[in-house]
Order: sequence, then C-alpha cells, then structure tokens
Amino acid sequence: MDLASLIYLGVTFGLFVIFALIVIRTYSKKRKDTGEIAKFRMLDDD
Amino acid sequence: MEKVDYNYAIVRSFVTWSIIWGVVAVLVGVIVSLQMVDPDLNFPPYLTFGRLRPIHTNAGIYGWGVGSIFATFLFIVQRLCKVPLWSNGLAKFQLWFFNATIIASAVTLLLGYTTSKEYHEMEWPIDVMIVILWVAFAINIIMTILKRKDEQMYISLWYMMASLVGVAILFLVNSAAEPVSLFKSYSAYAGTNDANVHWWFGHNAVAMALTAPPLAMFYYFLPKSTGVPIYSHRLSIVAFWSLIFMYLWTGAHHLLWTPVPDWIQTLAMGFSVMLIAPSWGSVFNGYLSMNGQWHQMRENYLVKFLILGITFYGLQTLQGPMQAVRTFSAFIHYTDWVPAHIHMGTMGWVSMIAFGSIYYLTPRIYGKQLYSIPLANLHFWLILIGQLIWSISLWVAGVLQAGMWNAMNPDGSLTYTFMETMVEMYPYWWARAIGGVIYFIGVLVFIYNLVKTVGKGDEESSEQALAEGRA
Amino acid sequence: MWEKRPVIFLVLATAAILVGTIVTMVLPFAWVNTDADRIEGVKPYTALQQEGRDVYIREGCNNCHSQTVRPLVSDVLRYGEYSKSGEFVYDRPFLWGSKRTGPDLARLGGKYPDEWHYKHMESPRSMVPKTNMPDYGWLADNQLDPHMIQRKMEVLDFPFTADEIKGLNGKNEMDAMVAYMQKLGSDIPWRQATETTIVGDLVNPYPNVDHATMEPWEEIYAANCAACHGEHLEGVIGPELVGEAYDEETLFTLIYTGIQDGGMPSFASLGTDKVWKLVNFIKYYNQGENH
Repeated sequence: MDLASLIYLGVTFGLFVIFALIVIRTYSKKRKDTGEIAKFRMLDDD
Repeated sequence: MEKVDYNYAIVRSFVTWSIIWGVVAVLVGVIVSLQMVDPDLNFPPYLTFGRLRPIHTNAGIYGWGVGSIFATFLFIVQRLCKVPLWSNGLAKFQLWFFNATIIASAVTLLLGYTTSKEYHEMEWPIDVMIVILWVAFAINIIMTILKRKDEQMYISLWYMMASLVGVAILFLVNSAAEPVSLFKSYSAYAGTNDANVHWWFGHNAVAMALTAPPLAMFYYFLPKSTGVPIYSHRLSIVAFWSLIFMYLWTGAHHLLWTPVPDWIQTLAMGFSVMLIAPSWGSVFNGYLSMNGQWHQMRENYLVKFLILGITFYGLQTLQGPMQAVRTFSAFIHYTDWVPAHIHMGTMGWVSMIAFGSIYYLTPRIYGKQLYSIPLANLHFWLILIGQLIWSISLWVAGVLQAGMWNAMNPDGSLTYTFMETMVEMYPYWWARAIGGVIYFIGVLVFIYNLVKTVGKGDEESSEQALAEGRA
Repeated sequence: MWEKRPVIFLVLATAAILVGTIVTMVLPFAWVNTDADRIEGVKPYTALQQEGRDVYIREGCNNCHSQTVRPLVSDVLRYGEYSKSGEFVYDRPFLWGSKRTGPDLARLGGKYPDEWHYKHMESPRSMVPKTNMPDYGWLADNQLDPHMIQRKMEVLDFPFTADEIKGLNGKNEMDAMVAYMQKLGSDIPWRQATETTIVGDLVNPYPNVDHATMEPWEEIYAANCAACHGEHLEGVIGPELVGEAYDEETLFTLIYTGIQDGGMPSFASLGTDKVWKLVNFIKYYNQGENH
C-alpha cells in the first residue's frame, strides 16, 4: 500500500470512530434522561 | 411564572413580507412557464425568460424561503429560549434591510445585472447587502440563545445555528469576484474551479437554507401542533451531525460527467447515497412521533401540512441520491426531470412546512383564531394537486426526452435531432403551467384566509387560541 | 458538553462543515487549471468575443443552454468532442449550465456561418421552426462601449491591442454575440480530427423512387436543410440546389461530412438512411417533376 491509500484508509477509519463516539455518547445509559429532556421542556407552556 | 415580553411584532412583519415575496415568486414562475410554451410572451429587453427565471428562483429562495425562515426563527428562538429577542432594534433593521435587498435584487436582475451563477445571480453590491443582512440575523439569534433560560438546547436550535454558520461560509466563498463596475464583476475562479466552487455552494445552499431551517421548523411545530413530543431527541442529534457533515461532500453530483476531476464526482456520488440515512432519520423521527396520533391527520390541519411536508422531504432525499449516481445522471441530467425534482422540494417540502408553520403562528402572533379551517384545507389540496401535476408531468417529460436523446439507429446514428425531442415537450410544459396556476390559486386562498383572520374584530387571548390550535 | 454550550457547538458545527469543504472544494485547486490540465491552443477571448460572452450572461442564455459535452455516446454524436477542463481556463464565470431546454453550445463554434447566427438570433423560428427561443434581434440596436470593454479586458488580464478596441466602434451587441458563438469550443482542432471519411462503395438504397415514396422525405429536408437552402431549394444562406449537378455519391458525401470551411455542417448524425433520402429528394426535385 502506498502513502495515499494509507491516508485514505486512516481518514475513513478516523471519521468512522468519530461517528461511533457520537452515537455511543448520545445513547449512553447515563445520558438517557438528559438526552431527551429538551423534547419535553419544549412543550411546556411558555 | 412571570410573563416574558416576546417580540411578536417582528414575526408578524416577516410573515407578511415573506408571503408577499412568495406570491411574486409563484406568479413569475407561472409567467416563465408560459414563456416556455409561447415565445411571443417574451418582451425584451426586460421581460424575457432569461432575465425572469432568476427572479423567480431568487424571489422563491431569498424572498419566500429565507423570509419565512426569518419569521419562524425569530419566533422559535424566543419561545425555546424563554427570553425576549436580544435586540428588537436589530430585528427591525433586519426587516427593512431584507426588503431593500429583495427589491434591489429584483430590479437589478430585470436590468440584466447578473453573475449568471444559479441561485447566486445577484451582482456584488447586493452580495454585500446579503452579508450584512445575514450577520444582523445571526447576531440576534446567537445572542438570544446565549442569554436563554433553558439550558438544554432543543434540536431546532441546533439546526438554526448550523444554518447560520453554513450559509455564511458558502455565500462568502462563492461571492468572491473582481468588480469591473458597480454592476459587473468577474468570478474570482475560472472554468472548472468556478464550476466546482459554485456547485459546492449551490447544493449546500439547499442544505443550509432549504433543509436545515425547514427541519428546525418541523421539529418545533410538529410537537407543538400535536401536543406530543418528538419520538427521539437523541436520534435527531445523531441525524443532525451526520447531515451537516455529509452534505458538504456532495456538490459535484451536479457536475457528473463534466471536466471536474473524477474523484470529486465519485466522492459526491458516494456521500449523496449515504445522505439517505440522516435525511430519513428525520423522516422516521417525524413519523414515529405520530404513533397513536395519526387520527390528527384528519382532525388537525396543521399536522396535515407538516406530515405531507416531511413526506416530500423523504421522497426528495431518495430521488436526489438516485440522480446523483453516474449512470442515472447520464440519462436524466439536463432534461425537465431536474426542475421536477427541485419543485417537489420547494413546493412540496419547504413550502408545505412554511405554510404549516405560518398557520400555527397566526393565532399566536395576532391573538385571533384562524378565519376558516375549511379554507386552509382547500389551500392544502390545491397546492398538493398543483405540485403533483407540476412534478409528475415533467418527470414523464424528462424520461421521454432522455429516451429520445439516447435513441440510436441500427447504423449507430442518432434517431432524433434535438428539435424533434424538444417539440415533444410542449404538452408537458402546458401541464406544468396548469399545475403552477393551481398552486398559485392555492396560495391566494391562503392569503385570503390570513387577511380575513387578521381583519377579524373579535379579539381573544393567545392562550385560548393555543388551546384550540391543538384540538 | 455541546448541548448546553452554544459557542462550543458553533465551533464543532463549523468544523463538521469544513471537512467536506476542504476535501472537495479547496483541495482541487491544487490540480485544476494548473499545468496538469493545460491545453495548448486554448486562447483568451478577444475583446469582441468577451463582450459577446457578457451579453450571453446578461440575457441569461445559460438558463436554457449548457456548455459542456459529456463523454457519452449520444452527447458526442450530437454535439461533438467531449469537453476538457483545459478548455475553460479563461471562463470567468463558468457557463456550463444545468438544463438543455435548447441544445448544448460547447462545440457550436464553426458549425454554422455567421449569417446563420444573425438570422437565427433575429428570428429563431425562421431557421428552426417550432423552437421556443425568444427573438434577440434587438441586440443589434445596442452599440458597443469600447471604453468599458477595454476596462473589462484589463480586469480579466486578457491581451488586447489599441486597434482592436478602436475596431469595436460601430459594432453592436449582435456582432459581439456572433463572435462569441463562433469561438465556442473551437480552440482545439476537434472538427478536423473527427472529420468523417467514407470508405467503400456508396450504394443508393432508393434508386428510381416514385413521387409517393418521396413525399414524406420532404419533412427531413424541411427540418434540416430548408433554413439555409430554401423551402424550394432556391438558396438562402447556402447555395441554390436547383440545377444541382453533383452525382448522388458526391451529394451523399457532402451532406454526410459537411464542408468544414464552407459553413456546411456535417449531417452524419442523421444516419445514412436519412441522408440517402435527402440525396434522392434533392435529385428528384431537380428532375422537374415536383410540386
């Protein structure tokens, strides 16, 4: 593999990891309540 | 709970002006559709197809589209943050500068002052005005968010802020030009580079001006209209990051088979297909929010507009990636299929959401019940039928023309000359014009309904209106 | 983290937007319009051509006409050699367009004589019946402004001479437009390269046809030839065809390959069958038993 292919693979893998981290963080159990609180708060009488 | 002094006056003004520019956009659209079938309807130098078509598109995007974004965002940001607008003066400046910019755009385009770049035709002095306008808007929204009372930001605010940043970057880069005079400039980029920069702008203007903002509206007005929260806030977050990340790679799908380097085209094609996921993330989020609430499609006219709107978004984001694939693009690009696709997005998705949002706003900003729900339903059916006639007739036309362009004789020569394929379009262009007229009538019904609402004598409190709006 | 902090959120959102932007929009500048895709022979526009281009932009011609031929069989057969990046290095802005309500114009230069363009712009339907293109005869009423054009050439950094600018006096926007039309796609010698050579014997598939067979073929003539050679072959821009003395093989070759420097386009795209029908139609007409 040449350098360009390695960079290509590395960047793709890096992006995938970032995406995975966002999903894991968003759906982690300890954030279940805080992650969904906004959708209830927005319905409050304002 | 203390009463917050929300600024509704500015929302009322933006609703009014966005509708005025929307009428201009649709009316000019009908006129240019008739010019397509009868060239004698061109009146040079000012009223020719070549000069009017950019007025149609820009009045639609910047007058109606951005105008209604201003109206709804200025409302939503106050309500979600539970604080009044950061600066009422700045908002007022934004309103009048907005109208000045739109008028200046229309006049200069009629006079032939154009850069030729699609959806960015206005010459550099007006680009400067647009930048000032957007900065004024962005400051007011961001400052209001910064002083908000509710710490957690709801997803609508996310889309709004992404849109503020996105539009700014796109517009500034694509505006770069060397002026020759006050009304003539040459792009800072040449040829293939110019094409690549421009469609990076063109496609992402769709993302940042005509996708993120209507999504912000949808995520706000759907739960507010149904009274039940969206299905999953976390799903909307994952879809959000994916959407704003992936969109920027896809501009070159407008340039498939052109001299733009192949690898850019391939990336654009791949990312376009991947974009189905975050787009449908929002569609599913909308549909799943309706679990147990589908009866509201019958009973609540607001829901009808919003759910049909998100449905057209879903269809649009399936058809778009399909067109972004090289093989299909080779067949369909440059035909009437493409405007049919765009108009499902603008007339179906963006406008349906904007109409639904304005119906939701009207009782709240005027403190009066809507004049007539049957008329709102009539409006709904007219614009739905008008748009379907518009799009379906041109999809058929596009496939027909593409087939004729590619038809070959046994000896390897082309079966049809260009003109033989063009004359086949006339019946479909007529059908499109009729679809446009029906849509226009729908918009007039909408306006009549709003005028009657505002003119009504019986004042009632907005709380009451709110309660009934949900029923 | 970002859910509660708008400033951090704005920074992250901007970063997300910039990744694709940098890869697909910024990076290409390293390759495009460099020596990598430079084409010898591609020249900047002359003052007159550039002014024509600006009129093209002002009138929004790009709303209906594209200017890029794709490397696809039907595109190349219909319009000519596919477009190359190096051909557009002087195009500010690009004018590739996105819709072909009318035909692509990337290879228009040299296809028709100037006179065809003047007549077509003046009255499109006189040359192409049933077209929906608006009339642009009024362009001829607008005189050019040499001073302004010189300024444009300076901004674009295109070479020009004082005589060239002086020569613009008395010329109008129509002249500029036609000059621009004739420049389009002609910087590379693609016409010479794609010139058709007919090999083998030419055999007329319709010898000694009768009038009834012939009649529907008049439509082919009317659609493709009449604009230049007249409805009754009397000649307009192109020469009269009555009394035409060519034999059928020569006539076939002329129609099929065209006359490169004589303003006669090639009609190879019609296919051999239609060209033979035209040959027979013209020959038959000449025998006097007509209309």
